[in-house]
Amino acid sequence: MLYLLLFLPLPFGIYALRDRHLRRLGVLGTTVPLLSIALALLPHTDARGALQLDGVGLFYLVLADALFAVVAVYALAYFEDGHDTHAASFYAPFFLFLFATHGAYLTHNLGLMWTFVEGSTLASALLVYHHRDAHALEATWKYLMLGSVGIALSLVGVILVYALLGGTTLDWRGALALAASAEPGRLQLAYAFLLVGFGTKVGLFPMHAWLPDAHSEAPSPASALLSGTLLNVAFYALLRYTALMVPAGLAGFAQGLLLGFGLASLLAAGLFMFAQRDYKRLLAYSSMEHMGLAVYALGLGVPWLAMLHTLFHSLTKTAAFLSFGNVFLAYRSKVLRRVGGLMHVLPGTGGLVALSLLALAGLPPFALFYAEFQALWHSPPVMMVLYLVGLSVAFVAVALPIGHLVFGAATQPRSVPQNRLLLAVPAALLLTVVWLGLFPPTGEVRMLAEVLPWKP
Amino acid sequence: MTRGILVAAFLMVGRRSLDASIRLYALQNVFVAALAFALADGSVHLLVAGALLFVVKGIAIPWFLLVVLERLDVSHEIESYLAVAPSLLVGGLLVALAYRLGQGFVLAGALLPEAVPVALALLLLGMLIMSTRRKAVTQVIGFLTLENGVFLLALAESHGLPLFIELGVAIDTFAAVVLAGILMFRLKGVFGHVDTSRMRDLRG
Repeated sequence: MLYLLLFLPLPFGIYALRDRHLRRLGVLGTTVPLLSIALALLPHTDARGALQLDGVGLFYLVLADALFAVVAVYALAYFEDGHDTHAASFYAPFFLFLFATHGAYLTHNLGLMWTFVEGSTLASALLVYHHRDAHALEATWKYLMLGSVGIALSLVGVILVYALLGGTTLDWRGALALAASAEPGRLQLAYAFLLVGFGTKVGLFPMHAWLPDAHSEAPSPASALLSGTLLNVAFYALLRYTALMVPAGLAGFAQGLLLGFGLASLLAAGLFMFAQRDYKRLLAYSSMEHMGLAVYALGLGVPWLAMLHTLFHSLTKTAAFLSFGNVFLAYRSKVLRRVGGLMHVLPGTGGLVALSLLALAGLPPFALFYAEFQALWHSPPVMMVLYLVGLSVAFVAVALPIGHLVFGAATQPRSVPQNRLLLAVPAALLLTVVWLGLFPPTGEVRMLAEVLPWKP
Repeated sequence: MTRGILVAAFLMVGRRSLDASIRLYALQNVFVAALAFALADGSVHLLVAGALLFVVKGIAIPWFLLVVLERLDVSHEIESYLAVAPSLLVGGLLVALAYRLGQGFVLAGALLPEAVPVALALLLLGMLIMSTRRKAVTQVIGFLTLENGVFLLALAESHGLPLFIELGVAIDTFAAVVLAGILMFRLKGVFGHVDTSRMRDLRG
């Protein structure tokens, strides 16, 4: 059954290479992830072998599939409204990316997981390449080169871990059981490689250079997928390998590094955001900020909080990229200054833009507030100060553009997007985020995180 | 054999001809594959891994790169930020660094401890090639050298990775090279050149 779940998107990816019928592709793009969720939620009896779905895997798999389905609904409306001539070529990488994502979450082998993470890089590079112009090429090339180097460095870490476990197994449970026998000094070295390698893909400072380019040059539905699911795939790999350090007695070492990288990313992203003139780059740096926060939460030794943060961030950021997708459809420009007074010209989109930016800034009652507050609660005093400084800078940087964008002097758009789905999809996501902020699923996520070796 | 790999990689740093670089890359892989065969000692796993390496990286990828280079219709000269002499100097320093750090990477029970510094050297030389060369093709060659270092490390520390993972890695590498090849054609089509140093519109 899990094999079916893994390979489900693959034939559609091959099929999508040939089919040019947008509606059909769009419907498939929604149904395949929904079907996958149903498959994933069935009780699984085949709990042996290379493919397994434990609590954490299930959590991320369902989140990814839900986002793929939602983005597919929006993408169809987006491409039709924008008369995108390359629209049909969105779907083959879409399904291949979904396949790689399934693989990463389903495999219980830490080495095989690496191959799927790399696969997700390649598939998503095709999504970045969508527009086929000079900028898209530049972004794709940088992404491919930097991503590949990063992921190659993490392979060094994988190899060292494998050798340290006596060259016997990379199976997750087997590795957890053996980790205590590994030589701690060398395991630290391995972890450093893993952190730098996967950290590149998570978008941690200072390995983040690919992230803003790729996010801003991809079409909006693809940007949403990059932020909402691709970064999580890399984070998930980091989470698994960090968990391996706990039985090895290196939890303190790993968490110290994570706290450092998390805070550095938060502070750097906050400053970068002030300098942005392009709204998609602003959102991209905000992803860097939130992935930094998730890594920080993991560094606090509270994995469920990190999972919760990635969940909230994925939903909120998808809502934001899709809301700004409407702005792009209307203005055909990503420059912040060319857009203004949305409240007067495009009230629906204006409301969504304002709310999604506030949600990203971490204002209550949006869910990210809850996660950020919880992380503050768990922080030691010295960290607390830095954390608060970072959060405040990021808050101002994200919330500041709202004034001009939404309430400022009106700039006339070139066209007004008509399709209701363009508003309904991000609105539904924002409602979900408010709901999750009011009733955070803390208990459920904690239960799912029980497979991780941290003591509650 | 490990020396041969190192020499092949080091010569890449000094050569100015792209064709020679690609051939040296192929040569590296022939050496690594031979190493896998020599270590195999009858184990099917290493024989298969060695054969796979020989076919994919020793023949398929270099052949693909040569074809791409032929069709791209750009000069076959390597353009670098660094002249040959400083390149060789930096390369030499990196190799020395790899040998200096190498001991720290040798794990208890390593199959081939003397290959560990060579693997590190490939890693560093690959990064050097990637960061100092301007043509997109050379960046790919740099990446592949780096990736070879990773493979060699797996071979040196233990009997490589489990075979199905090795297979996955090979597929990924090949797909990455094909993707890079396609992108290079587009680069040439859109920009009229494949000079990555002149792609600097996106920043900040």
